[in-house]
Amino acid sequence: MQSVKLKVSYAPFVRTKDSIESVMYNVALALAPATVMSIYLFGMRALLVNLVCIASCIGFEWLMDTIRKKPASCLDGSAFVTGLLLALNVPSNLPLWMLVIGSFIAIAAAKHVFGGLGHNVFNPALVARVFLLVSFPAAMTSWPVPFAVDMETAASPLGILKTDGVEAAMKSLDLMSGFYGTMNGSMGETSSLALLVGAGWLFYKRYITVYIPFTLLGSVFLFTAIFHLIDPAAYAPPLFHMVTGGLLLGAFFMATDMVTSPLSVRGQIIFGLGCGLLTAVIRLWGGYPEGISFAILIMNGFVPLIDSWDLNDRKAIHQKKLQTT
Amino acid sequence: MISDAFIPAVSSLGAVALALGLIIHFVSKKFHVEEDPTVKLVNGILPGVNCGACGFPSCGQFAEVLVETRNSAMTCPVGGADLAAKLGEALGMTMAEPKPQLAVLLCQGNNDVARQTAEYLGIQDCWAATQAFAGPKQCRYSCIGLGSCIAWCDFGAMRLENGLIVIDNDLCTGCAACIPACPTGVLVMQDKKASRYFIACNSRDRGAATKKACDAGCTACQKCVKVCEDNAIVIEEFLARIVQDKCTACGKCIEVCPTKVNCIRLENDLKAVKQKQAS
Amino acid sequence: MKTFRTGGIHPPESKLTGNSPIEVMPLPSELAIPLSQHLGKPAKPVVKMNDEVKKGQLIGEADGFISANVHASTSGKIKAIKPHPHPGGQYAMTVFITPDGKDEWAEGLECAPADWKRLSKQEILRKIKDAGVVGMGGAGFPTNVKLSPPPDKKIDTLILNGAECEPFLTADHRLMVESPEDIVTGLEIMASLFDGPLKIAIGIESNKQDAIETLQRYALPKQIEVVSLKTKYPQGAEKQLINAITGRVVGEGELPFDKGCIVQNIGTAAAVCDAVCRNRPLIERVLTVSGMEISRKKNISARIGTSFSDIIAFCGDMSEKTNQIISGGPMMGKAVFSLDVPVVKTTSGILFINNPALGKSMERTCIRCGRCVEVCPQGLAPWLLANVAQLRHFDEIQTLGLANCTECGSCTYVCPSGRELVHWIKYAKALVANRQKRKSA
Repeated sequence: MQSVKLKVSYAPFVRTKDSIESVMYNVALALAPATVMSIYLFGMRALLVNLVCIASCIGFEWLMDTIRKKPASCLDGSAFVTGLLLALNVPSNLPLWMLVIGSFIAIAAAKHVFGGLGHNVFNPALVARVFLLVSFPAAMTSWPVPFAVDMETAASPLGILKTDGVEAAMKSLDLMSGFYGTMNGSMGETSSLALLVGAGWLFYKRYITVYIPFTLLGSVFLFTAIFHLIDPAAYAPPLFHMVTGGLLLGAFFMATDMVTSPLSVRGQIIFGLGCGLLTAVIRLWGGYPEGISFAILIMNGFVPLIDSWDLNDRKAIHQKKLQTT
Repeated sequence: MISDAFIPAVSSLGAVALALGLIIHFVSKKFHVEEDPTVKLVNGILPGVNCGACGFPSCGQFAEVLVETRNSAMTCPVGGADLAAKLGEALGMTMAEPKPQLAVLLCQGNNDVARQTAEYLGIQDCWAATQAFAGPKQCRYSCIGLGSCIAWCDFGAMRLENGLIVIDNDLCTGCAACIPACPTGVLVMQDKKASRYFIACNSRDRGAATKKACDAGCTACQKCVKVCEDNAIVIEEFLARIVQDKCTACGKCIEVCPTKVNCIRLENDLKAVKQKQAS
Repeated sequence: MKTFRTGGIHPPESKLTGNSPIEVMPLPSELAIPLSQHLGKPAKPVVKMNDEVKKGQLIGEADGFISANVHASTSGKIKAIKPHPHPGGQYAMTVFITPDGKDEWAEGLECAPADWKRLSKQEILRKIKDAGVVGMGGAGFPTNVKLSPPPDKKIDTLILNGAECEPFLTADHRLMVESPEDIVTGLEIMASLFDGPLKIAIGIESNKQDAIETLQRYALPKQIEVVSLKTKYPQGAEKQLINAITGRVVGEGELPFDKGCIVQNIGTAAAVCDAVCRNRPLIERVLTVSGMEISRKKNISARIGTSFSDIIAFCGDMSEKTNQIISGGPMMGKAVFSLDVPVVKTTSGILFINNPALGKSMERTCIRCGRCVEVCPQGLAPWLLANVAQLRHFDEIQTLGLANCTECGSCTYVCPSGRELVHWIKYAKALVANRQKRKSA
């Protein structure tokens, strides 16, 4: 009998091939069409923004791990995804030092302050985006025109909607080109087509469920449709809202972030509805033209509450059983 | 110009703050809970580590119950005789002195002397390991050696050395919090004495099996029983045990013990020795 | 196709031995028969060292209500009675027999087949008890006890569990294909113990089409339904199987008979047929020898007490890359710590695997992906149970449904962070039990 060194561990002895890395890099892969589209639309500057964001996020992750004396997790993909999402959420002409500040806010202030991956309450990329938006409002809202050669900038369709009303906004944008992505906006949010392809990959790999994105999009669609029907002159049609701004990027890639969304189906539906309604309210009546970032961050804050509601329900069921037996 | 924006903001926020302050004031008055100053005093004397050794979940609760019942039999094992005296002074009564105890590991099977079976790669916790199998050491009565008790000890008295727990007698307060952390029951409480002899083995296997599994195991050879003049050593389930009340610490048993790593151990308690010398 | 309502996973099926006929393993040179092969108290040894025993002779007597008889698997001499490694991971009192090679049946066990239809219910139950039949799926609950539910519980459904949802295992599958008559007879015998209308069903996962067809041929004429079930783990777990076939939910703290159901394993049905019709005690069982690290994978019929090293010698060629040997299936089995462990009544398979995940530091932080919640067939939140267990809040964990966990391992299987969720739950269960024991002591 040959001697083998037996090792004992606990069942099950077969495990899924998925790991944190595979989940994160698949999300990155799903963002690839939007990234490619951003480079196609906004040129090599977009590539530079992507690289700077990813590199500085990974760098800050390494730095924070070292300071906190934790095993290095900078290559587990979560910092990569955060950097990529941040890049896709800013205009392509943003100064590079602002990107580095944004990355620092995302990794240090939004993630490691709460305890690192899995413990953050708010989506790091969105916190960074909102931080940049309120700190450098001018730079964050001067959108380069696609295929521009001389850094020509203009307002985004949502910005036009806010300042010049429905008619001007509808004139500025042909819905089909909005769907393909040739409009002004943040790097990754312009092309609905690329985002939908990426989302399809996430659904196929079962990394996200339908509950959050569909309740979110559905509630935005329904809400804007109702007001469009009441007064078409004051409110833009729902399809306009669907293709403009960061709605699809937010719905499929930010609101569905595993760490900062509720765990139960019921919670996810509430979360999606809340995000959708807040987005619509901010877009229709708020001070900012775009509302999805704020909406998701606000609902992120409610996630512990939604989860604890679910938890208390569970406890109530089992407590009853414990008492009777 | 500035005052136009300033005055309404300051006055409205000030009004809100004033209103809230008043509410807090009334609530704290109305729902004020009268606290017994003796409880506070007693709580201040207690060590405040909430170890649970007294049977109450926290020092605060111990203090409340003590002040209410004035039960002189209630003791804090962690604080010992000093604390009992202080408590008695504060309450104007004589408190019972707790019997000082120590956690003792009945095993010397470190990685050099104990034979191993299979490598364990699950959750590094003794209880978790025993759910997977009988433990990485061949002797199933031994210290598993993953150190769960370290985390359960509030006083930092445990450390892991070469696959075996070592207890720092100076830091151990005898609170017994570590006992449920041990799945094999190799960790026990013993009375604190200036010098103690004990059989540092927990194996209930027959002598031959014990010997096969570990060099430091008690094989129940009876030699120590025969040599003991105080009849302080008994053999139960193939394992010798020293009856602490009868043992006079003469040390004859250690000389005759034939195991390679002497399974009988002498432990001098420095604190207790000093106390004895002082008195 | 029927299936259970919540959760479930699809691990790779890896049924490598589905078409290999059952081979009878030759008598080994020594048998180590543990006195504890069932749930409940270990049996009391009724033989002494150097006693001569015959095949099928009682060597351990059931000690108490939940306990089972243990018999000699062959004729020979008792070499020793001492603690010995058990495939369950612990040590158990074990009777060692040196076979004399004659393999002689004990007196009275060779008698002609009995007609079970003439026997009374008490006689049938006594025969099952005498033969030491226990649930052969894994838990090893004494069958006679399971077949005598409290009189106030009305049983209306008897389910035979042919799901065999664990990857690799094919022992039940081959048994269904090769001895359908025994299985159906065993099922009929068990059904005859209950009064009133009784629905009898055999649940088989749809990946065993040949077994479904074979059993249909024998079962349909006897008003036994053969239910084709969706291939999904843990389809063969008792509570999930009841849910799949009847739609009933066996809740927390409830047993199947609270919902009018009794579930028995395929191997148990065959053993009941052997016990009642042929007077044969349970001394051998069919098991699957498989896994990536052994070349001759097969289904074998081995005597209870055959050591794993003898089985390796019979099946041969264990690769040197083997780092784990599993007793049972890969989802709920146990990694053995010694090659000396014997086959017991509940050993459904032996797997030789190279677990690549071993050795690395495995557990990482929870990323709240929620998959464990999604796949838990009992509707629990495994991540939360594991977190609370790690914090050692043992009062709180009971309010989260700790007792409701069936330890199927689906949560650990899907966790991308590699957390040992089910192990933490098991850890909490052990400590909760220990605390209750200390309290009552």
